[in-house]
Amino acid sequence: MKKALQILFILSIFFPIAFLLVLSLGRNWPYPELLPQSLSLENWEFLQKSDSKLLQTFFLSLGISILVATVTTALAFITSKHIALSKYRNKLMLLAYIPYVLSPVILAATLHFFFIYAGISGNVSGVLLAQFFIAYPFGVIILNNFWNHKTKAIEELSRTLGSSNWQTFKNVLLPISKNALLLCFFQTFLVSWFEFGLTNLIGVGSVQTLTVRVFSFVNEANIFYAALASCLLILPPMILIWINKRYIFATETVI
Amino acid sequence: MEPLLHIDNITKSFGSETVLHNVSFTLQEHEVLSVLGKSGSGKTTLLKILAGLEKEDDGTISLSRKRMNDTPPNKRNIVYLYQEPLLFPHLNVSENIAFGLKIRKQSAGEIKTKVENMLLEIGLENHAEKMPHQLSGGQRQRVSFARALIIEPKVLLLDEPFGALDAETRVQMQELFKKLSKKMKLTSIFITHDLKEALTMGDHIGKIELGHFKRYESKQDFYDDADSGAQQEAAFWKQFM
Repeated sequence: MKKALQILFILSIFFPIAFLLVLSLGRNWPYPELLPQSLSLENWEFLQKSDSKLLQTFFLSLGISILVATVTTALAFITSKHIALSKYRNKLMLLAYIPYVLSPVILAATLHFFFIYAGISGNVSGVLLAQFFIAYPFGVIILNNFWNHKTKAIEELSRTLGSSNWQTFKNVLLPISKNALLLCFFQTFLVSWFEFGLTNLIGVGSVQTLTVRVFSFVNEANIFYAALASCLLILPPMILIWINKRYIFATETVI
Repeated sequence: MEPLLHIDNITKSFGSETVLHNVSFTLQEHEVLSVLGKSGSGKTTLLKILAGLEKEDDGTISLSRKRMNDTPPNKRNIVYLYQEPLLFPHLNVSENIAFGLKIRKQSAGEIKTKVENMLLEIGLENHAEKMPHQLSGGQRQRVSFARALIIEPKVLLLDEPFGALDAETRVQMQELFKKLSKKMKLTSIFITHDLKEALTMGDHIGKIELGHFKRYESKQDFYDDADSGAQQEAAFWKQFM
């Protein structure tokens, strides 16, 4: 029973990935065949075609997500500290959940007028800002728990031992918050990376991230290209999971 | 003799609640002042104000005749030690002890020598490479002491430092503190709610109650004060004799 459950768990994780890979190599898949009738690297050659722009899209998405995650993590670190030390901590933290209660698409629809007015609708800076609106409160939620009475006491202790604010940040706060910061970076990266509704609305088709392209292929019923784009889509998250396991869980700091 | 630390009419309120009322006292160089106080008496606020971690509403703090009110915590050379040892979790024992010296940009050779000597003093020479989570509560507190003492602070503020230790370790730590205090000629304020510990550790005794501070001239004076609790404590033990 135990072994069967383990196998079921492993299959539930690996089957969709393996099937995605098979589909990306597939040609000619008529109903009701279980698998494509032939496999080749022909779909992958699409990546190299100049008109596909799939690699360009991949790097654009990567750039947007890295920028959103970096800015969000840095700002959320500072913001969450001030919120944690505020006497209105609970009320402010409640506010952080509102963008998720609204849902990103509704938030985008609400803000779209202002994006058009500011002239950033349909360009990368607009998408960056829109994704930041979603990722920022999420970053604050993730990092808020890092700040507690013990962190404050450690910070104060470092100050009385002679550290300036900057030295305390560099030599104490940054090392002890490393795991929380990496977690925040990874999570906000994923929020940005897989964001569709908001990106599609603010990007108005001009800014095509990889997630938006996957949906375009699906809408065009181009299942093989959709699978190919999806393979690219899952690559960064897979690398993040590996880094997470290799560097975060392995070096967990005990506070 | 001119006192090292001069506290004059320190007042502090949080909202409508006044936690310190015109606290005034002096501390001589190399003196250990034990301060007794219950929870909520204002003792931690007082120490934090002295360390520069809280801002007083009124009053002056002078160290070596220099006004310190606006001096940031890192420039005061007054170390505040919490009840918890609060070792930096990403640094090993040696690195924790060396922290203040590195901040002061002392040479690597000097730091190494000082840390080795300090490890010998606290009896942890065989634990230099251990991480904080590999140490016992008493060992962590020793490292915490060493980290503070190695920078030779002008004043050491101890906020119930042995409160979380078991009885046996507590006695060991008291002895270690007394030994180091004498050897390094420390000037310190030792907060405790334990009457016996206050008498054991301090050269003089003070008491803080509802934000009002009182310093006793001598231990006899402390015993004679009916409100100090010393007579009740003595009467309690006498009934078993």
